[in-house]
Amino acid sequence: MADNFSPDSEPTTRTLLRRVLDTADPRTPRRARSTRSGAQRDLLETPSTRRQRSQTKMTARRRSHTAASVDRLARIQASGHLEEQTPRTLLKNIILTAPESSIVKPEAVVKLVPSPQVVQHTRRESSRGSLELQLPELEPPTTLAPGLLAPGRRKQRLRLSEFQQGMDWGHLSQEPRENADASSLTSSLNLTFAMPLQPQSVKRPGLARRPPTRRVVDVGTFLQDLRDTSLAVAPPDTVLEDTQPFSQPLAGHSPSVHHSLPCPSPSGAKEVEGPASRRTWSSGPGLQNNRPGKPAQLLARKVEEVEALAVGFPNISSISGEDGVEPLQNGVGEEAEESMEESMSVREVEKAAEEQGSARAEEPEGHTEVAEAAGSLGSIEAKEPEGSSEDEDPSGRLASPKLAPSTPEFLRTRRLQSPEPAPPPSTAVLPSELPKRLSARIPPRPRIPGSRPRQDPYKAGLNHYAKLFSFYAKMPMEKKAVEMVEKCLDKYFQHLCDDLEVFAAHAGRKTVSPEDLELLLRRQGLVSDQVSLHVLVERHLPLEYRQLLIPCAFSGNSVFPTQ
Amino acid sequence: KEEDVLILLQRLKAAVHYTVGCLCEEVSSDKDMQFSKQTIAAISEVTFGQCENFAKDLEMFARHAKRSTVNTEDVKLLARRSHSLLKYITEKNEDIAQLNLERKAKKKKKLEDENRNSVELAEAGVEESEN
Repeated sequence: MADNFSPDSEPTTRTLLRRVLDTADPRTPRRARSTRSGAQRDLLETPSTRRQRSQTKMTARRRSHTAASVDRLARIQASGHLEEQTPRTLLKNIILTAPESSIVKPEAVVKLVPSPQVVQHTRRESSRGSLELQLPELEPPTTLAPGLLAPGRRKQRLRLSEFQQGMDWGHLSQEPRENADASSLTSSLNLTFAMPLQPQSVKRPGLARRPPTRRVVDVGTFLQDLRDTSLAVAPPDTVLEDTQPFSQPLAGHSPSVHHSLPCPSPSGAKEVEGPASRRTWSSGPGLQNNRPGKPAQLLARKVEEVEALAVGFPNISSISGEDGVEPLQNGVGEEAEESMEESMSVREVEKAAEEQGSARAEEPEGHTEVAEAAGSLGSIEAKEPEGSSEDEDPSGRLASPKLAPSTPEFLRTRRLQSPEPAPPPSTAVLPSELPKRLSARIPPRPRIPGSRPRQDPYKAGLNHYAKLFSFYAKMPMEKKAVEMVEKCLDKYFQHLCDDLEVFAAHAGRKTVSPEDLELLLRRQGLVSDQVSLHVLVERHLPLEYRQLLIPCAFSGNSVFPTQ
Repeated sequence: KEEDVLILLQRLKAAVHYTVGCLCEEVSSDKDMQFSKQTIAAISEVTFGQCENFAKDLEMFARHAKRSTVNTEDVKLLARRSHSLLKYITEKNEDIAQLNLERKAKKKKKLEDENRNSVELAEAGVEESEN
């Protein structure tokens, strides 16, 4: 083939092909056969050839390629020709319409071959310009995304950092462009590197995060509520880690045990049993705060039954601390429904207590169950203290997903252990540490106090985590599984915060400090001699998240998750 | 040096294994239930690993409290997870503390008695001398 190059503008493949077509002898013997594969190969070659910009190399290669391709076209007995086309006409169309299908997807190329004829006029201009950029099509990612769509379908609650927001707006702005070029595949190739994220953000709205909306928090009433709730005796319960499977409730013993721990010495049986209950995860159905001794004993008996079976969910009840028994029991009631029959007794009590919260409860399931277990155990006793607790904390709710479970307990135990008002400073420090330690998935937002039923603050945070969990599981999860995950998460966080508190006390302090966090992470194996705490912070907490966390840390422990 | 360390480790592991074997024998004779060798080996391995962890944790706790010596407080912190163990340890701790107190009290008494005796003797001696 004689290719006469004019040393003007860079000899693109297009020009080369044109020349080839003009100069080459028409090879007639197999004219009627359309050369789909040949066209494919040609198309495949052109991108590769275009990529190398050096002229000499390109020309030589193109020459060989085009020669080879044309030869192939002539030679090939391609099957199934689409129309009455010669290779020549095909090439012409190809040149004119600039199919920029990717190497990766030959089917797209096939589709492209017949269509150029139809659209060639419209595309002529755009095609020229978009010849330059050759990127693989985005179809593979888009096919993946629907698969992931199902699990990620939920999530109105995930929030978006400003950074992510920016990404999304950028993606959305690119969308119209894509729609305009929908007919041609060129648009998909005009992408910047940011583009690949768009299908994800569009197809997985669950990942989208809303900006946090902060509302006014009534700190005064909140602290008031904390102080108002009385100390209650809690029949201690076993931890799952207890080595003795059938141990008795350590009502008498555990106080002494905790008394001897390196904590500020508690005074009085009640105070001692307070930390004991806190420690034991499951202080009855969270009736610790407001129940007098008698219902506590009643519960203690039931707790004994539960102990042997090591049911975990009473632990959730112990979270709420001052904020009242209700949210606990409502929360616990929720889980009680789904959980095993082993804990019937405790469950009944909790449901009975949940009656109180039924007025404000949002879970209809709880209602039905409560109605069943209405008259059973200690319901009368449950009602009275419940009523009092209801009045006591009308507003301020501890709601931070990871802070609230810990801080009320923390506060309560602090109050139990040390009469002086240590809570505010200690808990103020605690939020700053916890976000630092945990991956900042949720910036907790303040809520309007009194606008929501009580159990929501605690459940909402864990709910969020559980949903994240199910998202990463990439397969649908049963509701029971989700609740179980919530339970485990709750226990985990409780344990975590208790450890932090104990570490602080161990160092003779009343405030959790970064040292305690470092110790905790070290025990967990995340911080080692090779990896320091700051490395972890840098790795997992980008600046955007830190900016979200800082207002939370300085809020004085008054943070609430949105609903 | 490395070889020595390895040899030492092996000896320690063997010692732990032997102790675990003895304990398992006791338990099996008590409960009339046999222990397979793999079980004993597994238990001893786990025990050894846990001992390593305990040691590291104890050291961390002591350092956290800005001490250079591991204290009973550190041990209690370590055992806080298990209620019964914690109870046991604290009871033992209290017993030991009591013993110490008693010993101190005894020593004090002895000293006082000796002092008194010497004083009495001196006085007696003086009296005798006077007389």
